Amino acid sequence: MSAVTRSASAPEPLSPTTGEPVSTPARRNRLGIWLCIVSDATGTVALLVAYSYLWSLNVNSAWAPPKDAWADALPFWLIVLGIVVAAVVMWWGVRGIEAGHRDRLIVASVVASVIVVAAFVGQIVQLATFPFGPSDGAYASATYWLALATAFHLFLLLFLVTAILNRTRRGLITVANPYHARLVAMWVTWICVAAFLGALFATTMTVSPNLDSPSFGTFQE
Amino acid sequence: MSDTAVIHEQAAVPQPAQHGRPGGMLRHTSIITGTVAGLVLAVITYAIGSHYFVPWGEQNADFSQVGLDALVAATYVAWVIGFMAGIGAFAGPIRWALGHDLTHADAEYMAGRGQGKWRYWKYTTDHKVVGFQYLIMAMVLLGLGGFLAMLIRTELGVTWAEVFDPNFYNSLIGTHGIVMVIAMIIVVAGPLGNFIVPIMIGARDMAFPRLNALSFWLLFAAVPPLVSNLLLGGMRDGWTVYQPLGNQAPVGMIGYQVCIIVFAFSTGIASVNLITTIVTMRARGMTWNRVPIFAFGILGSSIMGLVWFPMFQYSQILALSDKVIASSFYIPQMGGSVWLYENLFWLLGHPEVYVIVIPATAALLELMTVFLRKPLFSYKIAVAGIAGVVGISSVVWVHHMYMTGWAPAAGYPFMLSTELISIPFGFLVLVMLGTIWRGKVWTRLPMMCVYAVIWCKIIGGITGVYLSDVPVDQYMHGSMFVVAHFHFMLMGAGLFAAMGAIAYWFPKMTGRILNERIGSIGFWTAFFGFQLTFGSMFIAGLQGMPRRVLQFDNAFNISNWASTIGAYIIGIGMLVFLYAVIHSWRNGQPSGSNPWGSKSLEWQTETPVPLENFPVLPVVTSDPYDYGVPDPYDEIERELTDEGAESTVGAR
Amino acid sequence: MSTVDDRPMADADGPEEPTNRPEVTHRLREWLSRPYARHIIVMTAVFTLLVLPAAWLVIHFMNLTGAPASAIMSEIEKTMFVFTMVSAPLMAVTLAVIIYSLIGWGRVTGDEPPMQASPAIRGNAIGTGLWIGVTSVLAAFLVVWGLVELATITSLSYGSTPANQQPNSARPIDINVTGQQWVWSFEYPDNGRITSDQLVVPIDVPLYFNVTSLDVVHSFWVVELGIKIDANPGAITNTGVTPNKLGTYSIRCAELCGLHHAYMETTITVVTQEQYDAWLREHGGKRTV
Repeated sequence: MSAVTRSASAPEPLSPTTGEPVSTPARRNRLGIWLCIVSDATGTVALLVAYSYLWSLNVNSAWAPPKDAWADALPFWLIVLGIVVAAVVMWWGVRGIEAGHRDRLIVASVVASVIVVAAFVGQIVQLATFPFGPSDGAYASATYWLALATAFHLFLLLFLVTAILNRTRRGLITVANPYHARLVAMWVTWICVAAFLGALFATTMTVSPNLDSPSFGTFQE
Repeated sequence: MSDTAVIHEQAAVPQPAQHGRPGGMLRHTSIITGTVAGLVLAVITYAIGSHYFVPWGEQNADFSQVGLDALVAATYVAWVIGFMAGIGAFAGPIRWALGHDLTHADAEYMAGRGQGKWRYWKYTTDHKVVGFQYLIMAMVLLGLGGFLAMLIRTELGVTWAEVFDPNFYNSLIGTHGIVMVIAMIIVVAGPLGNFIVPIMIGARDMAFPRLNALSFWLLFAAVPPLVSNLLLGGMRDGWTVYQPLGNQAPVGMIGYQVCIIVFAFSTGIASVNLITTIVTMRARGMTWNRVPIFAFGILGSSIMGLVWFPMFQYSQILALSDKVIASSFYIPQMGGSVWLYENLFWLLGHPEVYVIVIPATAALLELMTVFLRKPLFSYKIAVAGIAGVVGISSVVWVHHMYMTGWAPAAGYPFMLSTELISIPFGFLVLVMLGTIWRGKVWTRLPMMCVYAVIWCKIIGGITGVYLSDVPVDQYMHGSMFVVAHFHFMLMGAGLFAAMGAIAYWFPKMTGRILNERIGSIGFWTAFFGFQLTFGSMFIAGLQGMPRRVLQFDNAFNISNWASTIGAYIIGIGMLVFLYAVIHSWRNGQPSGSNPWGSKSLEWQTETPVPLENFPVLPVVTSDPYDYGVPDPYDEIERELTDEGAESTVGAR
Repeated sequence: MSTVDDRPMADADGPEEPTNRPEVTHRLREWLSRPYARHIIVMTAVFTLLVLPAAWLVIHFMNLTGAPASAIMSEIEKTMFVFTMVSAPLMAVTLAVIIYSLIGWGRVTGDEPPMQASPAIRGNAIGTGLWIGVTSVLAAFLVVWGLVELATITSLSYGSTPANQQPNSARPIDINVTGQQWVWSFEYPDNGRITSDQLVVPIDVPLYFNVTSLDVVHSFWVVELGIKIDANPGAITNTGVTPNKLGTYSIRCAELCGLHHAYMETTITVVTQEQYDAWLREHGGKRTV
């Protein structure tokens, strides 16, 4: 641990687990979160591609759900709104602790936890009350998965935000070492983008532009 | 550790309290508790599901049992979750959430301090342990894949009868394919990326040690579902599992899908870790123009894996969803599209080839300098080559889809991009040739692998140029020619390079030298068997033999017999090589810390490598290629160019 | 390296010479005077000559079963031939370097790291530039050749660009191809919708295929005619060809389609127009106008 000895003279506080100055693991973790976001973004793009590609093809004229029962747009946007508010609150808390106010992060993570729980419950309710099942055509499948992805994101977020709340409360996230909260705030911001894109696709791209696709197994256009 | 304690008192950051003995719950977890927990949870899930949820006797429209797919999927997922819980993978995040942070003593326990050999069977975070675990895993998977290949070649060599029934044969093909792809993805980046790279760049460990252990054990958990498919009806649709064919398959297919989904997490996590390590943890003084080229290779491969693997993962998540909850992403009657699957699949499927080949090639560049006692020729071109391949690899996937009828006009731009990628790839060949140029060769096994790989790359590269051309591909696509081509790239340029790289770093990992004589016999036997197998496969392909068939016209008999004989020769060679590895590992000649006289950082620390790699972190002042003497021809160059002072071109 | 002495320095030192003769000539002459350079050049030439027959060999193997039976297949073989020719020198120079390095520049064996060192060459602007230039030119050639050939075979297939995929020939024969596990079936929509499990087509008449599938992805491969297109469920794909050689050729499935994929093959028989008309009458079809 000679590296530790060398940096001991620096005024910067040291990370408890690795013994390095806190800015070193903070920098590493920031890069790690960015990379996770990139990876998750590719997955989200895969879902969006699936959605928009099937929308544009309308294979066998089977894109639309039975009886044209499209999903209601409002729940999508309510959930997005919830996540956006949670993100703004988290950033307010992070700015707060960076400026020396630990209480602001506690308040922020309490509020964000409540919002995320509400959004998660809302997402489950929306999944349960879609006017179609996942097997009712391509639109139904793709919309289900966009909602499922948001639900999964929210579940993960719930863990992260409550953990930040607990850690701040227990004094592990401090004014001197607040970077975990910042990482979670970065992640929440990305979830906003992902949920927004999902909602945008699911609510604006409904009726397929391709109305004369060939019937399955025949040569009639 | 006493000085560490002093520092902690000075720090303004609160210290975590030590709860109980170091390691906590992880003192009790190991592969045994993991396996038990995984099996128990899987059995419970299966029992509950089959008792309460599956309406036994009810059939779907295709006469399959209603709910069986969901039951099997849930069982597999339960195995993975149970195993990860049982081995202690969730202890870290839970402790973090509860605020019971790891102390330094905890972290050292998790890194395996004082646990002897048993640490290899635990959730150990030390990158050297993880490297060994990956090495064993890769060897097991290669052995399994190789055995399946022998079975495939047996079927194809016995031209007068069907040895296996078509369902089992097709499952062999698919399982061989995906097992080998996974093995090749991990065989360089796993053992060498984890064991060597952190030492090579002068770090004490990976950036995220616990994620390192997580990535390996996720891989470990992903393999049993894949292998078990052979018992559950098989994944009989090739490693690509085109949909909707995969949707017809028996429940064995779910093993494949669960494996890919979990393996994608494993690869993504490993990529995050390797990229972060290489970017942020280099020793002082190791600027970007002093980073060993192997680290660049791993970096490039990790970037491709990180960015593109989720595409493959989602292609399988959606396929699993089609099978389990009857969604219709790939079911054309219900509005799905087969082209959607093919695009998602190949968006990773092609970069994956470079995920395999780039680190293998970079490892060879690294070791060539040592055996030629020469600096790397044109370091910048090598880096540019890797960067170019990584960049262009993301826009070539459609060349797998020329003949699908999806956007025929896309053939033009994608033929362009595919042939353009040969330019940066050519950079790497240039660097190889330039490094060989005028060097005195130290003819040891790792260096001999370089020659073998260059030969395979020539063949694989030229046949690749044929296939990148749409008109030629119109004839070749789906034929044995393609199979021969990608084996030349993945096995010839990938596996042989990996064997060379492992032979080279073997002394650092085990403290012993890989037996030169036995190793060489094995390697060259495999190499010549390889030429026979896939050389004659080219001929079968040119004649028009489709791939993935178990019976064929008599016209293809001769080349198939030759292929099968060659395959057995490869098998013998590989067994000999394996014997050399095991024999040398147990009682080979001790190597000392730097048997090759290399100047790279990993050889400067002692062998076996101590827990935190270096007693004092090194400071780097040059790149590791400072070999050789001034070029005698330079003298002439200088005399010649003295007059033309504006000319700056020279040997240097 | 002992031959450094016979370098042509006299010319280079001449007071007037450099103005007449560019410096690059001196450098080239000096380089060519090095023994290894000459050896590698000779080896490259020899290897090129040794590799070139592969171009004919490749075509030989492709023609074993009767190809080429269409202009498209001829174009494909021409491309294979040209690509092999172009690749031969590149393969030869690579082989020459690696083989020469094992014999010409010295070799060390033994367990101890050798002390005697190789020249510390960290780069060579001319060599690098030359390599990048040559490979770029080659790649450009392959791309241009490929693009032109693709346009050619596309127009031979469809008689038009793929953008509208309309056959431009006056009287092509439409054929609907349906793949299902594990048979091909063919329908002649213009000839009384007769169906068959084997293709019979007249020589020198354009054929236009509409291809689809009833279950999974198949690939419609007419081997000796050099056309291939996937049969996708839920989509119709097109290709076309004009057979120009009488005979019976193979149709295979080129995409793994399940258990009996290997047996999913049939034949295409190219016959004269008279035989074709007779075949149509026999099967109850009517001759088209």
